[in-house]
Amino acid sequence: MARHTIDVLTRSLDPVVVPSGSCADMIVNHYPELLAHDAAYHDRAVELASRTYELSQFLVDVLGVTDTGARETDSLVYHASCHGLRGLCLRDQPRALLRTAAGEQCTDLPGAETCCGFGGLFAVKMPSISGAMLQAKLDEIEASGADAVVAADISCLMHIGGGLHRRGSRVRVRHLADVLAGPPDA
Amino acid sequence: MTPRERILAAVRDGLLRAELPGASDDRPAYRGLAWNPDGGSLVERFTRALTALTGHVDEAVHPAAIADAIVRIAMLYHATSYLSWDEQELGCLDLVGLLGSRGLRRVTYDLPADPTTRDEAVRALEPVPLGLTGATAALADCGALVLVSGPGRGRLASLLPPVHVALLNPNVLYPSLAALLDARPDLVDQGSSMVIVAGPSRTADIEMTLTHGVHGPKHVHVILTA
Amino acid sequence: MPDAPSSPRHPAPPAQAPAAAAAFYARVDAALADKALHRALSLTTGRLAGGLTSAFAALPDGEALRDAARRIRAHTIAHLDRYLVQFSEQAERRGCQLHWADTAADASRIVVEIAQANGISLAVKSKSMLSEEIELNAAFESAGIRVVETDLGEFVVQVGGDKPSHIIMPIVHRSREYVAALFRDKLGASNTDVADVPAMTAFARRVLRQEFVRAGMGVSGVNLAVADTGSLCLVSNEGNGRLTTTLPRVHVALVGLERIVPTAADLGVVLQLLARSATGQAMPVYTSILTGPRRARVDNGVTGEPDGPDQLHVVIVDNGRSRLLGSDLAEILYCVRCGACLNICPVYRHIGGHAYGGVYPGPVGSVVTPGLMGLDQWSELPHASTLCGACRDVCPVRIDLPHLLLKLRERGVAEDRAPFWLQIGMRVFSAVATRPRLYAWLGRVAALLGAAASRDGWLTRLPGPLSGWTTSRDFPVPAKRSFTDLWREKTAKGRRTL
Repeated sequence: MARHTIDVLTRSLDPVVVPSGSCADMIVNHYPELLAHDAAYHDRAVELASRTYELSQFLVDVLGVTDTGARETDSLVYHASCHGLRGLCLRDQPRALLRTAAGEQCTDLPGAETCCGFGGLFAVKMPSISGAMLQAKLDEIEASGADAVVAADISCLMHIGGGLHRRGSRVRVRHLADVLAGPPDA
Repeated sequence: MTPRERILAAVRDGLLRAELPGASDDRPAYRGLAWNPDGGSLVERFTRALTALTGHVDEAVHPAAIADAIVRIAMLYHATSYLSWDEQELGCLDLVGLLGSRGLRRVTYDLPADPTTRDEAVRALEPVPLGLTGATAALADCGALVLVSGPGRGRLASLLPPVHVALLNPNVLYPSLAALLDARPDLVDQGSSMVIVAGPSRTADIEMTLTHGVHGPKHVHVILTA
Repeated sequence: MPDAPSSPRHPAPPAQAPAAAAAFYARVDAALADKALHRALSLTTGRLAGGLTSAFAALPDGEALRDAARRIRAHTIAHLDRYLVQFSEQAERRGCQLHWADTAADASRIVVEIAQANGISLAVKSKSMLSEEIELNAAFESAGIRVVETDLGEFVVQVGGDKPSHIIMPIVHRSREYVAALFRDKLGASNTDVADVPAMTAFARRVLRQEFVRAGMGVSGVNLAVADTGSLCLVSNEGNGRLTTTLPRVHVALVGLERIVPTAADLGVVLQLLARSATGQAMPVYTSILTGPRRARVDNGVTGEPDGPDQLHVVIVDNGRSRLLGSDLAEILYCVRCGACLNICPVYRHIGGHAYGGVYPGPVGSVVTPGLMGLDQWSELPHASTLCGACRDVCPVRIDLPHLLLKLRERGVAEDRAPFWLQIGMRVFSAVATRPRLYAWLGRVAALLGAAASRDGWLTRLPGPLSGWTTSRDFPVPAKRSFTDLWREKTAKGRRTL
């Protein structure tokens, strides 16, 4: 799969922008190591890693943009997805964008930087632990009173959203890109 | 092959394949900063740090005043006997005599090697209520005393009794452990035991409830001399 | 398949051990069902992790200190043979008796033999994870030697026939009521003796003092050995470490062969991080640096030291560490056993220490236990993690724990331990995911099937091995039109989205 992805993404030299911290982390930090002994792909993996960015990272660090014009009406609470946060050091970029789009209406969850319990296959290999971590995250989200929880990774959001729906909660899940895009075109 | 040879061979063999990120051949050199966030002299910092740990700091310069201070502390805890470093190690002339005349009796000991008599000797020391030591050095940043064992400087005086009184000359006060080890690298090897003592013994094992005086002393009093 | 880097020499993969895996899941489920445990864990680990954050924030150069500590440990491990030789020579020169133990059984046998040679009938112990690794207490008991744990938490564990659940706080899983009842039932404590925590502590102190003064041997662990002076550094907050290594006439110190630094100055660097990482304290209450047994009279007739052990035995233990060294997991040997990774790990916070099953819990345990013992009985541990990386963030020596867990997972796959459904599933998935048209077509099929199976756009039950997902959450039905479909529409109409 890594080789295929590299084949596809090295057809051009444009920056690759990924709306997912864990996917971007995989390409940037793990592809070169995964293919360390693959003569044909290693250099291409390194080259690709050098121009791959997570969405908020690209907007803020590369384009210098913190204002996409969107202004948020929902009250939001922010969950910092782990791989983007720690693998790509995305501490400030998503928050900078959210500050512009939502101002005081967006706050960090108290445990914003605590893992939600998705962890990829962990969610189905260790469902009871994953479920327990999820419940802790959902309790915090509901206690915040926010309309929606926002994160930059759809994987966290599927897991959190699935849990919120199971609980019958009215809290919605929003992806960062969704917030930054503003309301849909007329 | 002896176990030593076998293990060393296994280690050397392992090193041929070991993946050790961040390893280098040269010994790393790091010198900790002498750091002073809240300002103040070494004595002020030391006092603040030790007081925060529920230790007590007093001042007394002349032998008579030092004896007075020790007697006051002994009366707080109804102590009439004590274990102690030898006089010349305390840095206070005739202290034992002065304390004796005020009703405080020194219990001397030298633990015998023979198991049976050693046991008896230890049992005799256990009930002694107060221990008196000097201080080989002290650390201002964490309010700690540094006690190095040696002839006339037993370990038990600062360990067995529930009250520990230490005479500290401020001229052996260092900003930090790093500063001490820099200035006195020889200290570690001067005795069989070098112990850094930061306040009274404590535990939070039961429901994270902090309690003092578990095995070591419950009360630590430092008297700054000179 | 690309050339793997030379793999560690470990026993040929034996048959799967499904019983061990099942036992692990049973322990996990028991822990998850225990609400009181969860409250205790949250409170304790939360406080300790908070302590670490404050302690590091207060340091002017915390990151530089971590870098320095890592360099020291990495350098030492990279020259471990040299430093072990230096340590042993310097320790012997100062009167220590050195013993080397290849295996856990050797190590406990050596300690028992020292006790027997000295006619010891009672030993006191201060906290040592290594002593648990080598199952020393059982060996003492078989030899008819009574051994008493003196660390308050470990004492409670021993009296109750329990197991510790955290490296630094052994009874984080127990309440004060439990301890009170235990002291009353097993030790004859009166109600006043256990009225509150200070009373219970004072009671324990009295009971243990009697053991300290009678014990002929003290057994301790070692936080770090210092090579150039043959010294042993031992930290404690309670003081039992000091009593154990001072009162009895024979002191036995157990040290894992990786727990060593070159000089006292290096020790100083690590010490500045150890207590801060473990509990948030600037320093432990007692830091003992022991250099040889009690020093006897010198030739000019001056008296020797009045107290201290007459014999100091150092047992250097391998028990799989040299094998671990020769592998891609060697970085775990930098560990100084501070427990910070346990305190920050969300998985540990939910399942506690016992669920891990081995001596060492948490992220470090998930690497060390299979690293030392092999994956056969410990195949699930490397998977009990979301690889969130919080542990790497707090480790004082910056061990890349998620990386090591991944290496163990790779090893598990190489040893054919991946469950069948997963092996097939990954092969199918990668075949589909590398064929865009097939992927898109299957996506449309899934959307149709999903819509048929759901009422409101959500599935409450997923089939087969994916059913784990739906135990605690719903699964969204795939959208009828994919992003690629939408993109094609928009760009075909000549419009561009933001």
